[in-house]
Amino acid sequence: MKDEKKIKLFLVDDDALYLKSLEIEFLGHADFAIETFVTGELCIEFLSNNPDVVILDYLLDGIDKNAMNGIETLDKIKAFNPEIPVVMLSSQDKIEVAVDCMHHKATDYVVKSETAFLRLQKIITSIFRYKKMEKELSWYMEKM
Amino acid sequence: MERTNSHESFYASSLIEASLDPLITINADGMITDMNEALVNITGISREKLTGSSFFGYFTEQQLASDICREVFAKGLVTNSPLTFCDTDGKLTDVLFNGSVYKDDKEDVLGAVLVARDIAEQKWVIELQIANNELAFQNEEKEKRAAELSIANKELVFQNNEKEKRAEELSIANKELAFQNKEKEKRETANKELEAASDSLKLASQYSLSLIEASRDPLFTISPAGKITDMNEATVKVTGVTRGKLFGTDFINYFTDPIQAREGYQQVFEKGFIVDYPLTIMDGKLTDVLCNGSVYKDDRGNVLGVVLVARDITEQKRIETELTEAIVIAELATGIAEEAKLKAENATRLAENAVKAKQQFLSNMSHEIRTPMNAIIGFTKVLLKTDLNAKQKEYLHAIKMSGDALIVLINDILDLAKVDAGKMTFEQTPFKMSLSLSAMLHLFETKIQEKNLELVKVYDDKIPEVLVGDPVRLHQIILNLVSNAVKFTTKGKITVAVCLLSEDEESATIEFAVKDTGIGIPETKINNIFENFQQATSSTSRLYGGTGLGLAIVRQLVKAQGGSIQVKSIVDEGSTFSFILSFLKTKAEAEVEARVEELDTEAKNIKVLVAEDIALNQLLMRTLLDDFGFECDIATNGKVAVEKLETNAYDIVLMDLQMPEMNGFEATDYIRKNLKLTIPIIALTADVTTVDLEKCKAVGMNDYIAKPIDERLLYSKIIEYVKKSVFAPGNKMIEDNPCAKIRCIDLDYLTRRTKSNPALMMEMISLYLEQTPPLISAMKKGLQDKDWASLYAAVHKMIPSFSIVGISIDFENMAKRVQEYASTRQQSDGIPNLVLQIENVCLQACEELKEEFNTIKNSGK
Repeated sequence: MKDEKKIKLFLVDDDALYLKSLEIEFLGHADFAIETFVTGELCIEFLSNNPDVVILDYLLDGIDKNAMNGIETLDKIKAFNPEIPVVMLSSQDKIEVAVDCMHHKATDYVVKSETAFLRLQKIITSIFRYKKMEKELSWYMEKM
Repeated sequence: MERTNSHESFYASSLIEASLDPLITINADGMITDMNEALVNITGISREKLTGSSFFGYFTEQQLASDICREVFAKGLVTNSPLTFCDTDGKLTDVLFNGSVYKDDKEDVLGAVLVARDIAEQKWVIELQIANNELAFQNEEKEKRAAELSIANKELVFQNNEKEKRAEELSIANKELAFQNKEKEKRETANKELEAASDSLKLASQYSLSLIEASRDPLFTISPAGKITDMNEATVKVTGVTRGKLFGTDFINYFTDPIQAREGYQQVFEKGFIVDYPLTIMDGKLTDVLCNGSVYKDDRGNVLGVVLVARDITEQKRIETELTEAIVIAELATGIAEEAKLKAENATRLAENAVKAKQQFLSNMSHEIRTPMNAIIGFTKVLLKTDLNAKQKEYLHAIKMSGDALIVLINDILDLAKVDAGKMTFEQTPFKMSLSLSAMLHLFETKIQEKNLELVKVYDDKIPEVLVGDPVRLHQIILNLVSNAVKFTTKGKITVAVCLLSEDEESATIEFAVKDTGIGIPETKINNIFENFQQATSSTSRLYGGTGLGLAIVRQLVKAQGGSIQVKSIVDEGSTFSFILSFLKTKAEAEVEARVEELDTEAKNIKVLVAEDIALNQLLMRTLLDDFGFECDIATNGKVAVEKLETNAYDIVLMDLQMPEMNGFEATDYIRKNLKLTIPIIALTADVTTVDLEKCKAVGMNDYIAKPIDERLLYSKIIEYVKKSVFAPGNKMIEDNPCAKIRCIDLDYLTRRTKSNPALMMEMISLYLEQTPPLISAMKKGLQDKDWASLYAAVHKMIPSFSIVGISIDFENMAKRVQEYASTRQQSDGIPNLVLQIENVCLQACEELKEEFNTIKNSGK
């Protein structure tokens, strides 16, 4: 019951260590409901759990060449429900990668670094603020 | 034919003869030309006599007869002309003549035929007739009368009829009236109904009108020409123009964009409707509206005009703008926040730079001062070991004391810098509190005696004998406080009191108080005295000297050890500084110099290489090492040291950092990397700032000793490292990796992240242990197979883990370089070495993490 109020986060990264550390950070900073997935396939499989935000690693097929990569996963998520905000995470600080992510409708792009978590936190906060605003706006529109 | 004709004329004359009526033909002169038997009978004259005789002679009234003849010839006929025959006997026969002319073939009148009808009998008849006539006349008269009467009657009847008619008419009229009345009534009701209907219609229309009026959306009706034909109250309000003025004006005049407005209603006429057409009404405040419109038609479907409802979206827009503004503001705020963050970062950087500059300055200064001090104190110590008389010894002690004091000052400054930079570290060593304190206070005895003061020591016996803590820092605190007390007190006593406040199984909390009877501190200044370079009054420093650093350091040191410091003071009566610190209890013996003596005998024949450029220091080092009984070789710079190491064998290297040609860092780096020697290297440095220490470790030095060199410390460190390197079991294993001795992981990050949660720590560590070996093999395989993409991916995935387990940034950079090489495929020569280093450090990290894992696991139990 409590879980309904919590923000549900999907963390997707094939780097289990980094995934865990992210999870720990998120759990340590706010009351999130977190589900972690080491592959894009798993993430897609559980999309019916309705995540509020997905944090998705860009390079998911680094080791397993046959794995679904980040962009494919992103596309699948967007196909499932374009409303789900997806924040891309990558160790590459490359403009092409960022632009690529944006073209595939990622909400934001964060480079894995010391500040990554802070940025993610801020992004999540702003996503929800934006959503709230949108909701308010549509509520006003309807009232008119 | 002839026969027939004669037969026919015979027949005709026989007929004529047979006729009883006298028939006479006469010529124009009135002479009888023929006659029939009847005439003969009537006249009583024979035929012969009659023929050719005048016709008229046989009538009583001859004149009348000739008139008749003439009449016949003139007119062609006569009818019923009355004549009276007068026969020979005188008998009169009344006849009626009918006559007509007869003509030949050529239409010439031959004569006239007269037929006389005997009306002798007829005369009677005539008389009768006359009587009858009379009677008839009478009758007629009577009839006339009767007729008149009947006429009168009729008249009456007529009159009656008329009357009746009238009456009827009246009644009809009545009926009509009645009908009309009825009709009227009907009509009235109809009217009423109509009225009612029209009333309800009116009501209905009024209702809809009022609805329209009540609508807050401006409503226009527009003629095809674009003129306004009607509007509601909202329109009046929104345009600010009265109804009267709006009528018949151009619709488009009321919008900011007339062209768009025109397009709008034209669209309605074309398509029949528009939906949500955006326009802005030109009023005082430019109301934004969305127009919805449609045409309206009459019964026959002719388009009469357009109804446009403008929905005021000002509020909507306002909210929208507010939202946008809010968003913009939020963005701005974020921008500002980021700017502020940047500024803060800049400020931090500046501050950090300033701190660095300060550190650099202090480090330089202390280096400059320490180097000569090193020589002064060192040689004083050396000299003190020689045979001296009492006086000489006393003077040398004085020199040493002064030197020590100076070093203390320099250390103070450095300490403060360290504390400011947050780099102050505290040792945790067992020490004897009581002994340590009295030894320290001993230092003040001379000074106190000089000033004629009394030093009172109050020591609580309940304090455990041996405690764990940092005696040096404790000395520093008390030393500062006592020296202050001595400085500002001219008469009276200084009391140093140490009391046990509380004690449990693990620790003891002790209060230290230094009380004087000096000048005291004004209440207003009490808050400032702990600031850097602050004394209670500016005149204080002139009178009493001092840097004003003492109390600042004291406060920092106490705070850093989790204690607190208080001050109570009354001007001219004295001050009391007190602080409370906790110490861990221990059963271990306090470390004393005795151990050094023990080692003394064990370690002989140690060959020491000293790399030092300053001759004075070379001499000092040689003296000290000779004293220890070690063999000593001197290299004047790093290069010489390297050369010597290449040719000779040494047990340990003492390396000065700042040397010409090749400094200590470069030399060490070369020794580790090129000579591949694991020989212990101890840095000798006057720069005890953190920067240098990190650098020392980074290039592979094992330890450092700060100048001026404490001979005991030097001795113990030399022994420690020489022993370690001799007995190190992993010597060969880590041959290629001199850095291996230094712990490569740092669980600081993990501890912070997991908030020291052991379960999470273990989870993270096991994840690393699980994930890393496959990555290492993937990396190696990628390199081996020249599968650059795999190499890239493996290294890429490794990178985040470095910072998590606290592996030096150097390795992360190495990994990044490998990554770069792998993606660009350039400079591939460098890769194998880098990969090897990464592999080594990761393997080492795994080993160390396994240990950590077990430690956590065990401590958890």
